[in-house]
Amino acid sequence: MRKYLLIAVLFLITDVIYPQLNLNVKASVNNIFRYGNGYEYFGGNKNSKEYFENLSDVKLTFNDVVVGIRYEISDPIEYGLDFKGIKKRYVEYKNKDVGLTVRGGDFFEIISRGLTLNTFENRAQGFDTGIDGLRVSYKYNFGEGKNQIKTKAEILGGDLTFSDFLNPKRIENYKVRDANFEISPLKFLTLGTNYVYTKGTIPNETNIITNITADLPEGYLTITSGTFELYASYAHKSLRADKNSLYPVGMSTRGDGFYSSLSYSTGGLGMTIDYKNYRFDLTAPNYRNTDRATKMLPFQNPPTAVKEHYFVLITRNPHIVNFNDEVGGQIDLFWVANDKLRFNLNSSVSSNHYEYTKTGPDVYQRVERNFSLIPSLDESFNPWWEVYLETEWNISEKFFTKIAVSRQNSVIYNIDIPSSTEKLIVTTVPVEFRYYISKEYTLKIDAEQQWQKNNIRPLDQQTFMNQLFSFNLTKSPHIGLTFNMEFTNDNEEPTGKKSWFSGEISYKLNPSNSVAVSYGSERGGLRCTNGVCRFVNPFEGLRLTVMTLF
Amino acid sequence: MKKIYLILLILIPLLITNAQTYSDFTLLDINGDDVTLSKLLERGPVLISFWASWCNPCKDEMRKMKSIYEKYKSNGFTYLAINQDNQKSIAKVKAFVEAEDFPFPVLLDTDQKVNEAYNGANLGLPYAILVGKNKDILAIHTGYLPGDELTMEKEIKSALGIKE
Repeated sequence: MRKYLLIAVLFLITDVIYPQLNLNVKASVNNIFRYGNGYEYFGGNKNSKEYFENLSDVKLTFNDVVVGIRYEISDPIEYGLDFKGIKKRYVEYKNKDVGLTVRGGDFFEIISRGLTLNTFENRAQGFDTGIDGLRVSYKYNFGEGKNQIKTKAEILGGDLTFSDFLNPKRIENYKVRDANFEISPLKFLTLGTNYVYTKGTIPNETNIITNITADLPEGYLTITSGTFELYASYAHKSLRADKNSLYPVGMSTRGDGFYSSLSYSTGGLGMTIDYKNYRFDLTAPNYRNTDRATKMLPFQNPPTAVKEHYFVLITRNPHIVNFNDEVGGQIDLFWVANDKLRFNLNSSVSSNHYEYTKTGPDVYQRVERNFSLIPSLDESFNPWWEVYLETEWNISEKFFTKIAVSRQNSVIYNIDIPSSTEKLIVTTVPVEFRYYISKEYTLKIDAEQQWQKNNIRPLDQQTFMNQLFSFNLTKSPHIGLTFNMEFTNDNEEPTGKKSWFSGEISYKLNPSNSVAVSYGSERGGLRCTNGVCRFVNPFEGLRLTVMTLF
Repeated sequence: MKKIYLILLILIPLLITNAQTYSDFTLLDINGDDVTLSKLLERGPVLISFWASWCNPCKDEMRKMKSIYEKYKSNGFTYLAINQDNQKSIAKVKAFVEAEDFPFPVLLDTDQKVNEAYNGANLGLPYAILVGKNKDILAIHTGYLPGDELTMEKEIKSALGIKE
């Protein structure tokens, strides 16, 4: 079926091109080559590690038609499964005058804020939820000027293969169908609706496959005025699992999700409040497995409503959002006091919706709440909260500094032995100094200090520290030299190491071609993108990256 | 066979003199107004820069480009900041841009389709492309180091026909 659709698109395109006879062919290529050789640590084990990856993204444009191909050699790959060949390919026809876009082949898609559909790729995490199929979008505006009514409609269908990064050989397959419609009847108002229908096969750890069918309708709106912006979205999920040895009589579940944000800005001050209420698969603690067939589906990726950090030690302790059962939000304030001083204050809090009590061996019962729309800081709700304050100060033409403080508290409740509940308190103070030596040369020094306390460790090892120092010298537009040092006094560090050192040289041959070489030891840790987290193992050795644009 | 294919893949674009592809687009700005690249090009060259609120070098570049944009906008130059924040952080973009009082247009490309049209997938941010008035791609920049704005300013002056 897919082949026929692709052929149909090609025919349509050929019909459009041939009568014109005046082909305006253009091409562009970006090529990324990555090589690594050294050792990777799995807990206390040190194993040799080598990866060789080359990605060529080629784009050919013939008038209104674009053909895109990604040729990939990942042998061996750094994360995920090895691959050699054409990984992505597509043909796209775009007629801007008519407002029509047709694409056959591979694509990613996000509808609104992604409560029902948000597919993307993150190679650093071996995550790819790209769809292979057909997408047709159409935009039409009624009227002119201030009274214009804007509309947008899109349908898509295709296959999605999702490889679980914890176990890359556990592969879920989905057939995804989506219809989306948006209308802006007034300039300040946009209303939208989306509907996703899917059929999928989800294997569990022991390879018992569950066939599922799910419907996900969604409605959303955006209201924008000069200083305010309000967004709200609600999505419902109903899922049927066919009967098999896991579900002898089949299963039918319902879940939903709500997200809203309100932002306000005026004269140097910006404020954003996010609220999330995700209940895509409320279930007892003993059923919360990553391979559970009724979980939130991999092509859903709603907003996490937590701060995205860039200081290294803070990113090592990210909050892993539970999209199946989490309520909470964040407030973010950004204040430009003057052209030399800026402040950012962020606070976020979240928890599960309900607590559970154990009523028998492996039997848990939900304790009902009168009001489950706000998070609870009670330990049995697995609460998490953070407060972050950052200041940027341009001391002079030559000096710039940034200082921040972050406090994160998290609880992992042990329902079987409540006294063994894990409580983690992390305080981090990162500082950045920049000295502009000349118009071309800049020296940057980063220093981060972190204190952690974990109550379930032996008494003498409950508190420990992490420290990071980074020195970076750049000469615009060509050279960057970086030296990183990291230390810990954590006696439970899995690799047994107490210090890590690495250096990197990057050289830009010209603004679009660069080479970077690094050597040394990297501590690894938890890395999160778009609410998807994975543990990156510590690495020791050489890394080489070459980026070329034609 | 695969090696030959790979070599061809690299050689074909080299044989085509006009590398990197211009692609017209219309996106909404942070106030909900449509902005079309081809219409901006009627006035003069456009430096398209893809950025995100979590990207520090992007913010450094935008702060430096503020004065360069003010300096050359009367000559027809436009600095077009195209936001790449995803669903996680898009809510903060309008508040951030207005608090910083950026004078140039800031557009939203949440689904990153314009970034893909300029072959920016996997390149990282910031990623900037200078498009000439006649729709030629004049320069490409990946990443930003303090001082890069000097190179960019030279390229902008050259695109505007301003002599040193």
